[in-house]
Formats: sequence, structure tokens, C-alpha cells
Amino acid sequence: MKAGFVVLAGLLFAPSGAQAKDVAKGDELGFVPPAPGTYVLQHILRSPEGTVIDVDNKPRRLSQFTTGKITLLSLIYASCSDGRGCPLASHLLRQLRGWIDKNEKLHARLRFVTLSFDPDNDTPEVMRAYADGYLSDGNGPPWHFLTTRSRREILPVLRGFGQDVWIATSGSSEQAGKLPHLLKAFLIDRYGWIREIYTTSFFQPEVVLNDMNTLLLEEER
Amino acid sequence: MVRVSTASTRFAAAWLASFTLVVSPWATADETCNSPYIGNLIKGQEDYVYVWTLGIKSLGDGSDKLVTIDANPTSKTYGKVTHKVSVGRRGEAHHMGLTDDRRFLWAGGLDDSKIYVFDISKDPAKPRLVKTISDLPAKTGYVGPHTFYALPGRVLVQGLSNSKDDGGVTGMALYNNQGGLVATYPMPTEGGGDGYGYDIAVNPQKNVLLTSSFTGRKNYMMNFGKLVKDAEAMKHFGSTMVLWDLKAMKPTKIFSVPGAPLEIRWSLNPGDNWAVTAAALSSKLWLIKQDAKGDWQAQAVADIGDPSKVPLPVDISISADGKGLWVNTFMDGKTHYLDLSNPEKPVQTYEKVTGKQVNMISQSWDGKRVYIASSLLANWDKTGADGEQFVRAFNWDGKELALAFEVDFINEKLGRAHHMKLGSKALKMAFDDGPGRSPLANR
Repeated sequence: MKAGFVVLAGLLFAPSGAQAKDVAKGDELGFVPPAPGTYVLQHILRSPEGTVIDVDNKPRRLSQFTTGKITLLSLIYASCSDGRGCPLASHLLRQLRGWIDKNEKLHARLRFVTLSFDPDNDTPEVMRAYADGYLSDGNGPPWHFLTTRSRREILPVLRGFGQDVWIATSGSSEQAGKLPHLLKAFLIDRYGWIREIYTTSFFQPEVVLNDMNTLLLEEER
Repeated sequence: MVRVSTASTRFAAAWLASFTLVVSPWATADETCNSPYIGNLIKGQEDYVYVWTLGIKSLGDGSDKLVTIDANPTSKTYGKVTHKVSVGRRGEAHHMGLTDDRRFLWAGGLDDSKIYVFDISKDPAKPRLVKTISDLPAKTGYVGPHTFYALPGRVLVQGLSNSKDDGGVTGMALYNNQGGLVATYPMPTEGGGDGYGYDIAVNPQKNVLLTSSFTGRKNYMMNFGKLVKDAEAMKHFGSTMVLWDLKAMKPTKIFSVPGAPLEIRWSLNPGDNWAVTAAALSSKLWLIKQDAKGDWQAQAVADIGDPSKVPLPVDISISADGKGLWVNTFMDGKTHYLDLSNPEKPVQTYEKVTGKQVNMISQSWDGKRVYIASSLLANWDKTGADGEQFVRAFNWDGKELALAFEVDFINEKLGRAHHMKLGSKALKMAFDDGPGRSPLANR
């Protein structure tokens, strides 16, 4: 391993206090994850292209947010109340962002993206309010909150990511209007390749951090 | 970037405090034998049983097909075949698996090595063949796609054999859900590994994957009577299980498990750290469990039936609470129930002859319904009067299996009934912009 790799790993694995203990030993995981750089993250799929809008209602190409940096992207809808769904994803992104908050050198190499798949309700204003709940903890790498203008725009993006969205055709009235989906977040390399996909049972922040570090080490090679 | 609101942050923090940070994966496990990565559970009454069926020459169209049986007792067509999709050829249809989003069913042919992808989300009552992958041997060198195991956005496919010598040395092929080949992983042939493959089962909370081992194409396509008399051929069965680092996809430990260990089932009980498998040729149930030091160990913990009579345990199905295990034995047509309260000392508490030959067994999440299918392999199935082909549904009250319905696959001119998966009409894709638009798409 090059000396630079060690320095880089040290930067990522030096969050403050108890967090560092958790990350290094995998204390909350029940297993010790393989060390960054000792395994390969496969090139699973190309990240899709599409048109999105930011919280300032400006249209952007999605690839602006999925290339050039290592990106952790989650698909959510703002009114989701499933504790194992969108709120969990956004919380974990905030937790991860907090862990690397102090490492300003990494801010230029990482980004977080939260993209809504509910254009009917998640306007730029709603996404701005949603973002407010997650951006209070320090600076960290950039975290972009995006939505689309229509289903026509979000559909190909959902298909491209392979993100399922389901609707119950039977059930209580409470379920009406809900968009149940299997929690997914995507780790994307700087070239736009999806390198890992996380669902509820695989969304372990320590492992995600190791995966980010593995991609960072890969870039150094 | 956007500005920060202190008030909304406090609200969000309080809201999130009520959620568990890392959710038990087993809370999202599907009908007990499926990958824990599969979402959209069927925890209530299933509507359909999908049956991957081997074609029989001169019976119906003679081709392999996906058969849909209505399994909802409130339906007018309960217990009837309501749909079938022929793939137009006969290639030794065997196992199938759902993608993590439960939109697609992947099904394989052990002889022709084709992989068929059926869409079951747009109309769960009428699966459609949407893709055929025909280049597994050319791209990987593996043949006989057996197990289809869902990983996030991917399907891990276990081969049984290879294209060089049709022997048992093989590997796993990783595809994305769109059908693109992502990577291959050869089964280990060093450090005690025999290179054979059969089933795949993961425990994400332990970051481990377990594989088992069967035999190569030369054997599984051979006439069964001829095979058992061929002493040399009988030497070529798997006798290992492999523990893999799931994240790294690297083998970490190889267990000696003689006698062709087949299906693997992890206990779904939160906190449990063990799996079981049945070795077909030795009729032993094996336990793979962490010891006090956290090291993984394998040990034979029970006989299944009378091993001296070679009952040939085949499929197994574990209850959602990890306390019980169904085991089918092919030769004597028996279905056994083992109490797994102490997984190191399983005890058989029930058995029943459920057919003249029985192979696959699946149970509903609540354990109240049990489905049994007859076929093992085209050239291993019994013949004559013993060669019945069926799916039988039973109700289980904890004491007795009571027949609920039966579909005779010979009378229906369907073929040999093999692997089964459960389906539901309760879930459909939102944002569907195609025919049969979902309610949401019209919103």
C-alpha cells in the first residue's frame, strides 16, 4: 500500500470520540468488516442521466451530481413515515456526513445527494424544508437535495437506478397515498458507476464508510 | 446547498430518535427461504403459487413453463391453474429466485444453462417472460444455473457445473437486476475445497455467505438407476460447505460436510447465529454455528429418517421463528417435521407420506400453509405408477398436514412440478406508465 493510502485512511477513520471506536472495531455490527482497500467494489450499473431541479428551482442534469466525486445518493419522498425507509436513509447520511465533517480535504472528493421520487408533493420548497432538518450538524461534504418537475422526469431515473416504488392495491385508508419502497442508497464513483447498493439490511454506516474509503483508495492507485 | 433551520432540526432529531438505527435484516425476510434482501413481504394470505415446471416430451407442448396456481381460498379459481408461460424448449427447468424488489422472477435450466426472467409485478396473476440470458457458459465457463439469490440490485447465480468437462467444479456469477454480468467468483478448489456448488444463503448481520455442494452436469443428467451403479460417478459428489466474507466475496473457511449438502436455511430468529443444511446421500442434518469464540463450526446434529435406507433428504423449509424445520425425503415420499428448539439436538416430531416422490417444500410466513412439489430431476424422477407429478397444498395446525388442494401436473399436461415461489396481487408497481396503469399513475 502506498504511504498516501495510509494517510487517506487515517483521515477517514479519525472521527471524533466514540465514533472512531465504533468505526475501527465494528462494535455495533456484530462482525469486523474487511478493511478498506482489501476488497473490490464491482461496477454494478451506470448511474442514469435525467433532469432534476434543486431547492432553488433550477433545472440541472443529474450527472452533475453523480460524477466528478464519490457520491452517496438516496431516493426518498419527504412525507415518508416508514421508520425503516426514507427517514432512516436520511438519518444515516447525516450520521456519515458528521463522521467526516472534520476532514475538510475530503469535502472536495465526496458528496451526498437526496433525490425525491414524489414530484407531485416534493416541490423545491418542500425539499428545502426537508433539507433544513438534516443540515444543522456542521459543514461536512456537500449535501444536495433534489426533486423533479414531473413523473415523466423521475420515471426513467427510477428505472435507471432500479428503485422500486410500490402501491398497495388493497388495505386501510391510512395506506392510501403512501409510496412503499425498499430502502435503497447508491454509492457512485466519480465516473458515474454504481459500485454498491444498500438496503435496510445492508445499510450499516461503518460498512458504507469503508466502501467510500475503498473507492478513495482506488482513485489513488 | 441550503440553509439550516434550528427549529426544524430539533423536530427532526426528536422524530428520528424513535427509530432504530440499524434494523434487524430478518424483520424484512420474506417467505422463510428467500434472501433477507427481498422486500415487500407476503405475511398474510398468498394469492399465487408460481411453479417452475420441466416439460415432458409429448405432454402438452413438451416445454418448460412457469405455471401459476390460484392459492387464495376465497377465490373462485382456488386450487386451479390460472396461467402458464411456456419458454418454448425443454432445458431441465429447476430453481428460481426473486429479485430484491420482487419485481422479477429468475428461473434457470440445468441442461441448457438458460436463465429466464419473468416480470411478476405488472400483473402478478399473469407473469410475462421479458428476458432470456443465453450466454452464461460463454461468458463465465459455468453451466447449470441453480440458485438465484437476491442481493441489493443484483442476483447471485450459483452454477452446478462447468463447460469444460461437465464436472462439479463451478462458480457463482453476479448479475445486476437488469441482466448484465457484473462478476464471477470461482468455488474454492484449494485448502480443502472441492470446487462444487449448489445453494447460497447469506446472513448480512454476520457478513457471511454460505454455499453448499452437489454434483456436475454429467451426473445430474444421468439416469438415476445407472448413476447409483456407477461407482466412479458416485465419487463425484460435493462434500464441502464454504463460508465466505460477504462484503469481500472471499472464502474464509471450508467445512467438511460429506454426502452432498444441499439447501441452506439460516435461522430467521433475531440474534440467532446458525444455519442448517441436509446432506442428501448421508441423510444427516448439519448445523453451522458460531462457537463461544465466534468461530464458525459445522457438525452433524441429527439423522433424517433411517440413513441406512437412503431416503434422500432434498428440500427443507425453516419456520419464521427458527423453531421448526420441514424436510422432504424423495425416495419414501415422506414429509418430516423437526423441532429445532435446540438446534444442536433436533427432534423429529411428525412425519407423513405426502406423495410417491416429493422434493420441494415451501411454507407461508405464518407457517399455516405448506406446499409440496414432486419432481427432483427429469432423469432421477420415478417412473411408472410412482412417477406422479403434482403440487399439493396442505394446511398445518401444528399437529397434522391436511390436504387443501392438489394439481395433477400430468392430467393438466404441464410437466414435472419443481420449484415454487409465492405471489401476491396486493402489491403493484406505482408510477407504471404502461398498460394497466396503477392508481398512482393517474393521480
